[in-house]
Amino acid sequence: MKIAKLILISILLQSLFALSGKELAILIDDRQSPEDMKSTMSMVLTNKNGKIRSSEIRSYSTDGSKKQILWFLAPADDKGVAYLKIEHQDKKDDMKLWLPNFKKIRRISSGKKSESFMGSDMSYEDMTSRDLNEYSYSITGSEMINNNDCYILESIPSGIKSEYSKHISWVTKDTYLTLKEESFDQDGALLKSKSIAYQKIKAYDIMKELYVKNVQRNHQTVLKFNDLEVDTGIKDNIFHEKNLKRMPK
Amino acid sequence: MKSWFSKQVLNHPKRTILVNALLTLLFGWGLNWLIVDDNFMNMLPKDIESRRVWEEIETEFGSSEMMFIAFGNTGKSVYNKNHFQTVWDITKLIEKSPYVDEVISISTMNRMDSEDGFMEIDDLQPKRTLSDEAIEDIKRYLDTNPDTKDRVIGKSGDFMNIAVRPKDGNEVLLFTNDVLTVTDSLLTDYEIHYAGNSYITGVVPEIIQEDVSSLMAIGIIIMVIMLLANLRNISAVSMVLLIIMMSMVSMLGSMGWIFHLTGIEYFHFSMMNTSMPIVLLTIANSDGVHFVTRFFRESRKKGDIREAVKTSLDALFLPIFLTSFTTSVAFMTLISSPIKHMMGYGVAIAFGILWAWILSVTILPSLILLKKWDLKSAALSQSSYLEKWTERLGQKILMVPKRVLTFGLLLVFLVSFGLWKVKVEVNVIKFFKPGNPIRDSSEFIDRELTGSMSLLFKTTGDMKDPNVLNDMLLIQEKAESFPQSNTSISIANVIESMHKVIMDDDPKYETIPETRGKVNNLFTMYSMSGDPDDFNSLVDYEYETGIITSLLNSISTNESVEMVSELESFIKNKVTSNLQVKVSGMIVFLRDFVDMVVRSSFISIGLSIFIIFIIAWIFFGSFKWGLLSVIPLTSAIILNFGLMGHFEVHLSHMTALLTSVIIGVGVDFAIHYIAEFRRNSRRGYSIEEVSVKTTEDVGYPILLDVVSNMGFAALLFSALIPLNYMGGLMVFAMISTSLGTLTLLATIVEIFKKHLYKK
Repeated sequence: MKIAKLILISILLQSLFALSGKELAILIDDRQSPEDMKSTMSMVLTNKNGKIRSSEIRSYSTDGSKKQILWFLAPADDKGVAYLKIEHQDKKDDMKLWLPNFKKIRRISSGKKSESFMGSDMSYEDMTSRDLNEYSYSITGSEMINNNDCYILESIPSGIKSEYSKHISWVTKDTYLTLKEESFDQDGALLKSKSIAYQKIKAYDIMKELYVKNVQRNHQTVLKFNDLEVDTGIKDNIFHEKNLKRMPK
Repeated sequence: MKSWFSKQVLNHPKRTILVNALLTLLFGWGLNWLIVDDNFMNMLPKDIESRRVWEEIETEFGSSEMMFIAFGNTGKSVYNKNHFQTVWDITKLIEKSPYVDEVISISTMNRMDSEDGFMEIDDLQPKRTLSDEAIEDIKRYLDTNPDTKDRVIGKSGDFMNIAVRPKDGNEVLLFTNDVLTVTDSLLTDYEIHYAGNSYITGVVPEIIQEDVSSLMAIGIIIMVIMLLANLRNISAVSMVLLIIMMSMVSMLGSMGWIFHLTGIEYFHFSMMNTSMPIVLLTIANSDGVHFVTRFFRESRKKGDIREAVKTSLDALFLPIFLTSFTTSVAFMTLISSPIKHMMGYGVAIAFGILWAWILSVTILPSLILLKKWDLKSAALSQSSYLEKWTERLGQKILMVPKRVLTFGLLLVFLVSFGLWKVKVEVNVIKFFKPGNPIRDSSEFIDRELTGSMSLLFKTTGDMKDPNVLNDMLLIQEKAESFPQSNTSISIANVIESMHKVIMDDDPKYETIPETRGKVNNLFTMYSMSGDPDDFNSLVDYEYETGIITSLLNSISTNESVEMVSELESFIKNKVTSNLQVKVSGMIVFLRDFVDMVVRSSFISIGLSIFIIFIIAWIFFGSFKWGLLSVIPLTSAIILNFGLMGHFEVHLSHMTALLTSVIIGVGVDFAIHYIAEFRRNSRRGYSIEEVSVKTTEDVGYPILLDVVSNMGFAALLFSALIPLNYMGGLMVFAMISTSLGTLTLLATIVEIFKKHLYKK
């Protein structure tokens, strides 16, 4: 009888202090992140016929990638092309592209957030950080992923235009890192499946490799972050169109 | 063998019936595994060069054969809210089908705008319900981008076009069903036109199935009426029908068995097999009619049923076996057809024919023997009207044999000039009669929209090289210069548009940029702002292969030959870059395929005639009889193709294959005539009376067979020209081969009887 009482009290306490979906989302969002980051990204795209396109890009970003500048290093055809993005809360994001052969900077925009970024399986929506208020969250269970005990977090967009009907994320219980995510289209069918690997740099868990598969297109993207440097003191004026034409040394 | 069969029938009729019924049941059991495959694409050979190129294109760029849906109200502009809502709803619903790869409509197209150095790629129709201003804006955009407009709006502005690409060319039936389910439910307030090879391939099997089953039923009813009118005995007609039914079940069951035991899919029942039941029906009917009429004749003479059955068996065992054997062997030559499904056709029909023979000499005489006949009934005691008429006709013909022969030969000779006028040509749309909704709709889409057919150019080279792209534009310009061509599209067009947009929408930059680097920059720019899938149907992943799609009106294979050869010579002389071009598409493949089928059909017909000649020579033991046995058949074939030439009926793969029907029905009459002549010679009829006696004996069953099969003329009322041809051919084959036998063969035999008569 005593044991039963103890179990009951333990369950009551657990439910009293259990994490809500929203709280978990806040914990993920509040995770310590570097002020700025430099990396050389290698991106490999594979289509349904197994054909491959690869590119190498030097990236500088600050403010959780809200400001980002990219210089294309490879393939040779794209060398010299550069891209600048500055996200805004209250207006359309600024996206500029330097086209060296035309010697022109062109502002670009995708009217559709669901459009792919650079031909990859990531859309602009995937690249933009999720606003906590634009989703409703719930924890639907827990599961072991690569020996990590994870929460299963369901995020449903509410009141925003999204290409997705929901995301299901596997988030580590100790460090609040998303190891795996499945995103579903508006008809409820699985659209993309992602898995993420991290590395520890200074006090941060930094994304080392991202694998995304669009299961409906049977197309996949592997993005690797090399030469990672954090908190290097990137100045704000680097995110200026004049720097698109030439990569700073 | 004959005496063994005869003994079984005469001494053990019930056992004979039981054994054969059980065997038929066993063969018929195979129906459980018979698969009806109504996908036309499965029947096309895959080892033709144009098919290989076409498949390479489809593997890389998706199916090239689209279904087109045009909807609107004549005279009423499409630029209104309802129209945009409807096209949005249809697009979304069709996209949900698992058989659909892509929908191209105003709702799925992108627009590329440039303003103050700002390039934006967005949906042409961003949402379902649009304001009047938004609709006006779309109209403005389309007016300034005519290439885009041509693809989605009709020339008069009152129809919208939707092009739907199937996911898999092998699933067109399910694809068409899914699309039609959506359009039928949503387009109730609009005039609708459908076109495109995917659509036609998807709906034709159902039309064939409906027409064949309903019109064949009419044919069978007419057959029963004709048999009843002449045999004047329900039991006799039922017995003939029983033989037909049992052989039909066995033939179809054999296909199921063979597929079950071997797994060879050529034994599926496909569209190509549609004529099989009709052919077997005529052959089995012929066997039954010959036996029953012979029995009536003998019982009238002998007044004894058993004796009449015995004599009939004795007289007909060899000729029915020979006709069945020769016809079976002739059909077996279809094994060499380039359409592998014809192998299943040949083997199964050969089996059905041989089984019809067995049934005609076992079950039929056994049933006759067991039935209590009234020898005084009109059927047995009196000749029918047709019988009397045939006897009179035979006598008249044999009174003036030289005149009849001269007239017959002259007719064949004159008609033979038409052979040189026969044209091999296929225009899929012309498979439908003028006024048929499918033909009218296709013509509407040809006239008002982009056309329903496509010619594909597989271009291999560096798709970022300006010289290559300019050469692609050159090819497009040439392709568009043909009157049958409406428009064309390639990656070069997209590069031109992007170039204009990046240069602040200045129309003078709607060109291919001068350097490779610039072209590459345009691709990169698009990948940053648009969906790279947008180019999937135009260029491959590695920018090494592109596709030019030239949208055409429905053209014939001959027109395609002229177009393609002119284009190929243009490409050879004018293309200066390292661009390799291969022309393909459904129409080019069809051109090669039809040529191949027609050639192989002629070889098969020639081979069949030769084999029949050899078999007749061996069985009759005389070269002369072998030669005579193929005269009616050969004349009928000359008449068939000659008349086709004179009346400009084009030869297609369908009509060429159906010509085998002539062989099926054509050889039987001559063999019956020859066998009877030889039998009568041996039976002691004098040289003077033998021909008249032979015509009296076989003329009536031959003409009754012909008359009872006239019901298949009902197929002439089908919406499909190939089915009309099948019906017409049945009638023609019956009349020409029977008259060929009773005139040409009978008069030759009469004239040369001194050399042929042997006691």
